[in-house]
Amino acid sequence: MPDDLVLRNVTFALFVELGRAPTADEVAAAAGCDRAEVVAGWQRLHAGHALVLDAVTGAIRMANPFSGVPTAHRVHAAGRWWFANCAWDAFGICAALHEDGQIETSCPDCGESLRVAVHDQRPDDESLLFHCLVPAARWWDDIVFT
Amino acid sequence: MNLFRSGEHIERWLSGRDPGATIPVRKLSELAHAWWDDRLSLTWRPHTREQNQAILDRLGLTGQFWRLPET
Repeated sequence: MPDDLVLRNVTFALFVELGRAPTADEVAAAAGCDRAEVVAGWQRLHAGHALVLDAVTGAIRMANPFSGVPTAHRVHAAGRWWFANCAWDAFGICAALHEDGQIETSCPDCGESLRVAVHDQRPDDESLLFHCLVPAARWWDDIVFT
Repeated sequence: MNLFRSGEHIERWLSGRDPGATIPVRKLSELAHAWWDDRLSLTWRPHTREQNQAILDRLGLTGQFWRLPET
């Protein structure tokens, strides 16, 4: 049975390779272990905030900064489109991949599309503002809402 | 955690709710790169609370709003 750190790294590497959240069966095959061991490891990683599982299906909801489900925050980087969990994570995808990128999202107030290119870690439109509603002490109270 | 066109848009979106924290998008990019840069490294280890708090502090994101919970 792989330790949880190895399982976590296999999961994230497979996410990047596939361009989507891997299933437990896919991670089990890559890690050379049983599906049940992956599921149990994912639950421990979820409890440790190393990833976020869907409360109903147990599938990967977040492998931060990547999102396992479609969101309003899309990023084009490393030759493909990704979903991010939030605007912070959208920049985080460029950071994690060590790539420039193109972020597409929308202003929650007016719905206007916002496109930001990231080059050498800098956004090309510096007029935009980021708002974080939830204080840091409560980010993990409800990470999906945050 | 969203991007907005301007401060006016944030205020309208809040609709009277208490605001959180607002930072320029350039600062957000700096934060994201400091926070997520090592996420795919094969030598990645979970950040401690102190490591993450140091990232926030170094970027000037100080004050009660940016204080991570004690573990």
